[in-house]
Amino acid sequence: MHHVKQPGHKAIAGEARWYTRAVIYEVPVKSFFDGNGDGVGDFPGLIEKLDYLESLGVTCLWLLPFFPSPLRDDGYDIADYRGIHPSYGTLEDFARFLHAAHERRMHVVVELVLNHTSDAHPWFRRAREAPAGSVERDFYVWSDTDAKYSDARVIFLDTERSNWTWDPVAGAYYWHRFFHHQPDLNYDNPVVIQEILGVIDFWLELGVDGFRLDAVPYLVEREGTNCENLTETHAVLKTIRRHIDEHWPHRMLLAEANQFPVDVRAYFADGDECHMAYHFPLMPRIFMGLHLEDRQPIVEIMQQTPALPDGCQWALFLRNHDELTLEMVTDEERDYMHLAYSADPQARINLGIRRRLAPLMGNNRRRIELLNSLLFSFPGTPIVYYGDEIGMGDNVYLGDRNGVRTPMQWTNDRNARFSRADPARLYSPVIMDPIYGYQGINVEAQERDGASLLQWMKNLIGLRKLFPVLGVGTLRFLEPANTKVLAYLRENASDAILCVANLSRHVQPVELDLASFAGFAPIEILGYTEFPVIGEQPYFLTLGPYGFYWFELQRRDG
Amino acid sequence: MTADVAPAQADLVVGLVSYNNAASAAAVANALRDGLARHVSGVSSRLVLADCGSTDGTTARLRHSLGGTEQLVDVAAPTTAELLERPYHRIPGKARALRALLSSAKELSARACIVLDAGVESVTPQWLEWLAGPVLAHGFDLVAPYYRRHPFEGALTKGIVSPVFRALYGVRLRQPAAGEFVCSGRLVDHFLDDDIWEREGAQVGIDLWLASSAVSDTFRIGEAALGVRRYRVQADEALDLATTLTQVVGALFADLEARQERWQRVRGSVAVQRFGEPVGAPADAVAIDHERLIESFRLGYRELRDIWTFVLPPRTIIDLRRLMDASAATFHLDDELWARIVYDFALGYRLRVLARDHLLRSLVPLYLAWLASFVIEVRDRGDEDVEQRLERLASAFEAQKPYLISKWRWPERLRS
Repeated sequence: MHHVKQPGHKAIAGEARWYTRAVIYEVPVKSFFDGNGDGVGDFPGLIEKLDYLESLGVTCLWLLPFFPSPLRDDGYDIADYRGIHPSYGTLEDFARFLHAAHERRMHVVVELVLNHTSDAHPWFRRAREAPAGSVERDFYVWSDTDAKYSDARVIFLDTERSNWTWDPVAGAYYWHRFFHHQPDLNYDNPVVIQEILGVIDFWLELGVDGFRLDAVPYLVEREGTNCENLTETHAVLKTIRRHIDEHWPHRMLLAEANQFPVDVRAYFADGDECHMAYHFPLMPRIFMGLHLEDRQPIVEIMQQTPALPDGCQWALFLRNHDELTLEMVTDEERDYMHLAYSADPQARINLGIRRRLAPLMGNNRRRIELLNSLLFSFPGTPIVYYGDEIGMGDNVYLGDRNGVRTPMQWTNDRNARFSRADPARLYSPVIMDPIYGYQGINVEAQERDGASLLQWMKNLIGLRKLFPVLGVGTLRFLEPANTKVLAYLRENASDAILCVANLSRHVQPVELDLASFAGFAPIEILGYTEFPVIGEQPYFLTLGPYGFYWFELQRRDG
Repeated sequence: MTADVAPAQADLVVGLVSYNNAASAAAVANALRDGLARHVSGVSSRLVLADCGSTDGTTARLRHSLGGTEQLVDVAAPTTAELLERPYHRIPGKARALRALLSSAKELSARACIVLDAGVESVTPQWLEWLAGPVLAHGFDLVAPYYRRHPFEGALTKGIVSPVFRALYGVRLRQPAAGEFVCSGRLVDHFLDDDIWEREGAQVGIDLWLASSAVSDTFRIGEAALGVRRYRVQADEALDLATTLTQVVGALFADLEARQERWQRVRGSVAVQRFGEPVGAPADAVAIDHERLIESFRLGYRELRDIWTFVLPPRTIIDLRRLMDASAATFHLDDELWARIVYDFALGYRLRVLARDHLLRSLVPLYLAWLASFVIEVRDRGDEDVEQRLERLASAFEAQKPYLISKWRWPERLRS
């Protein structure tokens, strides 16, 4: 019999499947608020801003890596799995933060970078010194040649030429799917798995509610394959899930697997692997559908999306800390996206586009609202990237993806009130351009403006929480003749929500076949306005430019 | 906890909350003792006392009158802040006392737990039967009292608490914030698991919050007509109206905020089954001078109009202006206008457009206007007519619920 650890006071106790009802907020600690004035955001600063996040209405915080690291990949190059990078505070600060977040009923998800460590990690230093064939050496993947696993693609095309790098100390090549300073861990070594389980226990014991599993498709390598999504990789994930289920009930695993839905489906397995996984291909197709003013790309990808096992959930997002990735589209679609959204080559990186939501939408408020309406009404759990709730801009000249990781804009004071440090000391310059600069785009201004994007987002988040069917209900697309209009039903046993969105810049009419809801009255959710009762005839609506409706369908025929 | 005889299980727990109730202790204790012996004799029962730091010998008198058959649960003494707050129900630290009682009921695996206030000297032995019966014999989970009142008595409940409670939670409880009630063992568990105990304002709001907690789930709710509720009040204990309204309505509005995901999904309302005494003794007469109420409203309009504009839309202010100009003979506050006013104040409370205490105190003259209008309308009517009048008022609050929801979901529409 296994010992089951009680969630106790440290985690938010007893909320099974909380992630299906969550609204997640992605937040890099370094970018949010600087509590000690050294120019870098930290946990004391994040604690200060929890009231803001609570008032926004989000229910889960996903923290980007905050571990000790050389920071050559924004913290995804971890040098110590059980510590806090000194720039962000201490382990005590983290525990205080966790407690404060839980007091506000917010769950906390942290990164678990399974695939690789930094080359500064003691495990790697020890491995390169250890004799070939030893357990210590075998923490990583070594080879005398750089020709093994040649079917595996190079992911970071802009910076890496091979997945192998020669290590003169070890006298061998080591394997890395990402940057050369991020050697891949060797999951064929059972000691590695035991070490990782120990890391998991460490953070769950502290009280975190879940892990985002970074780059999970690449854990195991096999000759003659592309080294992605292998059965052995799934076996590792099942081991982790089994360990968590046995010891830490109600904690969550979120897989980052940038693959087509049919391939990502495997990461849910039979409900015994990951609880959640990102729906990567949806994001570019939403942008494409909007630009084409045609629902087809969106409908197509959703129709290719397989059903999930009970208790599993997609994680949906519009933008995040990486580029708008275009790996999971065809070459033609990628060309279209570049032409449509990144005419400036400076905005491109790897295969994607390094821009935030507002600039991608040309700062058009209606478009921003429309895309958020899709994010919050498609099946899955929405993730809001920090700053997108106020329409923050980016800086494509900062290199890598740093342009979408600039300091949060709190006020129009110096450094956007992100930090009291001298501006030159900030980890990154704040956005200062005339459109998105902190002087105009900031939390303080939008909190005082009842019609601001921030207030609108608060309302939308509130509505989303009011109607859980939007997270977990079934999805059924309607097929009106006007393809500029996207219409779909979200249903569960007790609720039916009709969502209608105009992807066009012009007013659009639409006739919807709602005969199966004859006798129901559509109640427009945002304004609680009752529309005429549905009959047997097609239901006629007009939508303003980029307009959308969410209707709660209420029975009126007795 | 001290216990003279402590059975491990009791079907019925009768919990008594006390605070400086020495004057009524003997009468209450005798009624309970008789009630347990004569009206609920077929079930195992246990009396549990939760005293909130009485300094007048209440506990000793109760224990003496009960003959040592009771169990005393520990309740932490009220803090200075609690004593200074002076809750409208007069019991500092009441939430702790209720929690201790319910925990005791849970420990005893009680099927029903009656909660009574030791200051209610009109309690009769039959109350135990009328309260416990619906739970033990008919499977109800919560039975709230329905006290016989003069039409002008309990006006705050009639004019605001009950109609809002009904419109929002869909249950037609006439006195949802009463200090006495009975709940099932299932509901005891639910109450103890709810987060209401730690909420800010629990000392004042706990009675109402227990009712809203029960109606927010799938529990069976009923009412018991208990006759008249007479409470012995010391002269220096009476609170002014503004403080009472601030506490009672503040607790109601705070609950709206906490349960917004529930009440926005509730449509319509359902009646609850009534138990207890079919016809009670006549309630004590209450005299109200409606002209003084109108004058207080007019004074309020002159002094507080600018405050009201923070939450009330222009058309409501114009309507109030017309009301101010009306004579006593034509003075009438429309039900739907009153419902919208209350809802706008609920929104203003939620959005903190003013200090909440100030906002709620500014509601007093408007409440007096409603009360004046109500008094004028029902002063010569019988009980049945008053009931019908209150039914129309409650229906107006239900009809205006979309007004509240639409603004609640889109708060920038406050004042529009």
